[in-house]
Amino acid sequence: MNDDQRDLLHALRGLAAAGPQEAPARLEQQLLMRMRARAHRRRVVAWASAAVTAAAAAVSILFWTWAPSSTGLRGPSEKAAVAAEQGSTDAALSDATASFYPLPDAEALPPLETSMVVRVQMQGSALRLLGYPVDEDLSSEPVQADVLLGQDGLARGLRLIQE
Amino acid sequence: MLDSPSHPSDDDLLRLVAAGDESAFLTFYRRHQSAVFRFALQMSGKPEIAEEVTQDVFMVVMRAPKQFDSRRGSAAAFLYGIARNFVMRSLEREKPYLTVLDDPDHGYYGQLAAEEDIARDMVSGERIESLRKAVLALPPAYREVVVLCDLHEMDYAQAAGILGCAVGTIRSRLHRARALLMEKMRAAERCAV
Repeated sequence: MNDDQRDLLHALRGLAAAGPQEAPARLEQQLLMRMRARAHRRRVVAWASAAVTAAAAAVSILFWTWAPSSTGLRGPSEKAAVAAEQGSTDAALSDATASFYPLPDAEALPPLETSMVVRVQMQGSALRLLGYPVDEDLSSEPVQADVLLGQDGLARGLRLIQE
Repeated sequence: MLDSPSHPSDDDLLRLVAAGDESAFLTFYRRHQSAVFRFALQMSGKPEIAEEVTQDVFMVVMRAPKQFDSRRGSAAAFLYGIARNFVMRSLEREKPYLTVLDDPDHGYYGQLAAEEDIARDMVSGERIESLRKAVLALPPAYREVVVLCDLHEMDYAQAAGILGCAVGTIRSRLHRARALLMEKMRAAERCAV
């Protein structure tokens, strides 16, 4: 390193030490205020989305629990006959439960008075064991299904969710 | 886990910032604001740009602290990288007005100072001020290497990491930048004699 270079580096060190070394203090305050505003916005959004989710869940539960049912699930042909015999209210409930595939022991259970639907995820092979016709390709795949529960909490039927 | 309660690592702080921890953000800001601000000031020569850039850099940290990946480099390098982008954007934006802003009463350090100005300042003993103007008059690609390596005392590898180029490129740019600065200093000394 020659004298000129040494001189330059010395001057550059002086330059580095000269002038303001810190951001103005007001910047810290501004950033803090922005952070608080963001946190407030996030809280509002979180509360709003939780409220919407809770309301949606309440509506779905009400829908399924208030719908009365007078019969247990039968086979597809019997279901059609039962629906024809009952009034329009019962027919609506029957329509709601008609999309469920009856589980093997469902007929031995007491008739449905109230019902509830729970969405679950299970292996395709588990659905096949319950007698639900599932494609071979889906056997090893996780699939989503709605399970129809009666007033006693026992499962009556199953419905595959088509994504 | 924190390194120690009194001195948490940048990584830990940013994890806490992601969870909305205000004091973690403050600690991180106080640790790094000086380097970011000085870099922006030395690159732009304007305190208002430096302030704006510093604010923008820490807003990025506030909004997306998870962008930082400690496997890819230090938090300082991460911040310099963001600051550099904002500075370049500001300089681009300011380009059409540089002639106007060259007014020493308007700008803090002045911009694109002519060689004669620098020589005159040298004669009057304002050596640091002249050198500052000379640094600001360098093309941005040379200026950032001088700022990082000579003013912020980084090694070539650190500067290369921030600027995203090879160590050899840093070495050659720094060599060329220093040569340009020395030319200006020699010219100033000749004028003084």
